[in-house]
Amino acid sequence: MAVGERDESGDSGVVSAVRDVLDGSLRARLGVTEDQNNLMGFLFVAPNVLMFSVFLLGPVLYAFYISFQEWSILRNAGTWVGLANYVDVLTPLPVQGGLTNLQLNTSVFTDPSVNLFWYSLKTTVIYAVGTVPLQIYGGLAVALMLDKRVRMKKAYRAAYFMPVMLSGAASAVMWRWFLAADGVINNFLEPIGELVGVQLAQNWAGNPSYALGGVMLMAIWGGIGSNMIFFLAGLQNVPEELYEAARIDGASAWQRFRHVTWPNLGNTNFFVIVMAIIGAFQVFGIALVYSEGGPVYATTTIVLLIYQRAFEEGKMGVGAAMAFILFLIIFAFSYHQYRHRQQEEVTY
Amino acid sequence: MARSSYEYPGYDRSGASYWSKTVVLYALVTTGALWMTLPFWWTLTTALSANPTATSVTFIPAEVTAQNFLKLWERPDILLVRWFINTVIFAGAVTAFNLTFDSLAGYALAKIDFWGREKLFLGFMSTMMIPGMVTLIPVYLILVELNWTNTYQGLIAPLAANPFGIFLLRQHFKSLPSALGEASKIDGCNELQTFYKIYLPLAKPALATLGIFTFMGAWNNFQWPLIIANENEMYTLPVALFAVRNQYFAEWGLMMAAALIIVGPVLIAFLAAQNYFIRGMSLSGMKG
Repeated sequence: MAVGERDESGDSGVVSAVRDVLDGSLRARLGVTEDQNNLMGFLFVAPNVLMFSVFLLGPVLYAFYISFQEWSILRNAGTWVGLANYVDVLTPLPVQGGLTNLQLNTSVFTDPSVNLFWYSLKTTVIYAVGTVPLQIYGGLAVALMLDKRVRMKKAYRAAYFMPVMLSGAASAVMWRWFLAADGVINNFLEPIGELVGVQLAQNWAGNPSYALGGVMLMAIWGGIGSNMIFFLAGLQNVPEELYEAARIDGASAWQRFRHVTWPNLGNTNFFVIVMAIIGAFQVFGIALVYSEGGPVYATTTIVLLIYQRAFEEGKMGVGAAMAFILFLIIFAFSYHQYRHRQQEEVTY
Repeated sequence: MARSSYEYPGYDRSGASYWSKTVVLYALVTTGALWMTLPFWWTLTTALSANPTATSVTFIPAEVTAQNFLKLWERPDILLVRWFINTVIFAGAVTAFNLTFDSLAGYALAKIDFWGREKLFLGFMSTMMIPGMVTLIPVYLILVELNWTNTYQGLIAPLAANPFGIFLLRQHFKSLPSALGEASKIDGCNELQTFYKIYLPLAKPALATLGIFTFMGAWNNFQWPLIIANENEMYTLPVALFAVRNQYFAEWGLMMAAALIIVGPVLIAFLAAQNYFIRGMSLSGMKG
């Protein structure tokens, strides 16, 4: 580290300069030169640097390049088409007309035959809005309950964790059966429906109005357990003294949660929200296995659409363009959350 | 009414309101736990039924038979053993590579004082922000160019390194005293020996946590094997399940038996080493 630069522990320039001298004397004592350290350090990280360059950073740049190409599967090469893929994906736009008389063109969101990208974006947003809060606050609720002196805590925790260990493909096949017209769920709903005089049993996966609901249900089912674990870990870090102080001040259970627990879970909350949103916008496997994007595109999420365009139809350029638009959306969300988090940060 | 030994209201455990709250708490936690576990029970009862119907599998199955598992075994287009071995090779190799690469990098980032170390660490961490679907198409095209589709190396290579593992192991190596390494170097060990003989054995708990977590992720991975493996012989279990589903759609007993074969090994491992799973999960929540 250069003299005068602040290191991660926040030392001032003088301290780190002194440290550099001491480090130098330590190195001399151990017979290790700075060059040797640089070489060893580089060799140790080399495998990872190589893997990340070839399979992560390089591909991001390559994907950007592909998004301007019309790709030919036979030649495994592309022809430059400029912004044509982006235009193709995004038009017709949700707004039309000039800047002076801007009109909303809602048909792109309601009719899959107008523009499938906007339609699947709407589907993905509905999925995200419907699943993320329930996954997160369901997980928080379970964590708060299990954090109390509950008997057989370990067994309960294991029960809630079980869906987390399930492959999305297996989960989708299972729920497809439970939600089938003659499945277990309808078997429960039918007598209840008869009792209240409403037709509750439905063909959940076969009806375009309900198919996405099934995917969301299984996502919530599978997502609560991991968030519970994150929040249980977060709750461990809330200082016990704060609760005692709050109790002595006569704070109610709600006030203790609102003013002690909640502010102290800020970091966990931020992380969990960002991860859940990133995950929700990339939902793919469960939608594909559950209903293959149908019926009538009801479960065609963006990544499923990318998969179909790129890998089923061979339109790599169109797929890459969609992937980049989605990348931008996800980045904007994460950045917004990050800025929001910085404003809210509490310190004691 | 006598107060309990604690003087704050929250600790009062004698009143009627305490008991009613406890009952509500247990009712809620148990209902949720049933919602989480009942689907597994239905999967099991369906897999064990000859003619599963909603009524027959909901609680206790009328008859128990292994015939769905036998069918999976006997159908010529269902290569159960091959798919199982594929998945073991895939998940095992991904885990082995991750542990090797990430422990090397994690050690260097924690214990070797080399030029640009902190910036490199930040660089590694920021790669976690890249959504997986952006790299899907280019990585596939690169592997097509290499003729690596439908091969084990094609399945394994893109998942062989993971920034989360670097983060986890760096934290762990940082928590170990530097004096150990200094002493071993005075005794004549070089950097590699210091890493291998001194620090790596001390990192076993972290390695086990990361290993189990990585294995589970690869075992359940659907998206990547689906794209790179499109020949029957190269399927992993989740992809095979999707293929079987398209073939034998309404044979629910068969489908549930297949689903159980995927879940079974992970579930058994979980029951044997619950704490490693939970720790892996909660550590993955700390990386932010």
